[in-house]
Amino acid sequence: MKKQYALALMLVAAVPAAGTMVLSHQGLIPFWVYAAVLIAGFPLFVLGLGLYWMAREGEADIPFLGY
Amino acid sequence: MITELLFATFFGLLLLGIHRKVIARIQRRPGPPIWQEILHMLKFSFKTTWVPATASTALFVGVVLVAIGIWTAALLVILSGGSLLVIFAIYMLHKIVEHGFGLSSGSPYGKFGGVRSVISAASEIPLFVTVAAIAIFTKSLMISDIVAYQEFQGPLLFTIPLAAVAMYVVLLSKMPFGPFSIVESKELVSGYKTEHFGVWRAGLEVCNGLKTYVLLLTFILVFIGSLPFWMILIAMILITVSLSFTCALSPMLSPYDSVTIQTLIAGLMVAYVAILGVMS
Repeated sequence: MKKQYALALMLVAAVPAAGTMVLSHQGLIPFWVYAAVLIAGFPLFVLGLGLYWMAREGEADIPFLGY
Repeated sequence: MITELLFATFFGLLLLGIHRKVIARIQRRPGPPIWQEILHMLKFSFKTTWVPATASTALFVGVVLVAIGIWTAALLVILSGGSLLVIFAIYMLHKIVEHGFGLSSGSPYGKFGGVRSVISAASEIPLFVTVAAIAIFTKSLMISDIVAYQEFQGPLLFTIPLAAVAMYVVLLSKMPFGPFSIVESKELVSGYKTEHFGVWRAGLEVCNGLKTYVLLLTFILVFIGSLPFWMILIAMILITVSLSFTCALSPMLSPYDSVTIQTLIAGLMVAYVAILGVMS
């Protein structure tokens, strides 16, 4: 997976979770909405973070073909 | 809730590290440091990751998301004082997750782990009996009601000790290196999780941390009641250490023996709850 895709996955998970957390604390949305976003977002964030760390930034190495 | 979620993940992994350390010390080995499971989770996050050629990609990746998602849901349910039935439904879903892990990879070791996960479903029967025993006394299965009941009537641990023992056996069946850990036994390499490596395994470690935290917290809230937060953490450590002693001092059973013993425990618990029902 490319680095920017993994970053996008992380942001797609983290931004709504942070947003609903703020809205829930303000009492603007019911708790179950925040819970639902967190349940869907946390697994995506965990995998996105791991994939982001190890994603390649450049092209893959040319494999050694032997002599 | 995000803070609680992160804390539960890391503290659950720390408990699993304590579990490994205690087992090692009983077996006169130095053992890994207690934060080893946290290091494992981080280490797997930094490993190169791909999907094996024999795997079903959607299931292989999707089951990791489901595994973390269901235990996140369980934590939210328990923190909001929701229904005990939902927690136990999630526990049953975890069985399907283990099965999915095993079958998705295409590896024979994983498949055997998945199949063993299904045949060890007998371990869940004491769980249902525990629910019945609790319902007889509290007349409610909401965790908030069960905690409130114990503030006036005392801990259910003393009222229905055999139900607590049954729940303890359920906890034991979910701890690694235990007598009932047939889904991860060494003849299957790592059982259902053999082929999940890299980030997928890091996700599984997060799931294991959450699962351990949620199950121990459920046991404490249901059988001891409300405690200050620091006492809950100490109680979790004490229960973990007792589970570690049990795991270290008992051999890992064969799949047949494991299911037979769990079925016998379930039978005894059904008789116990029938007697409780008649007497109440």
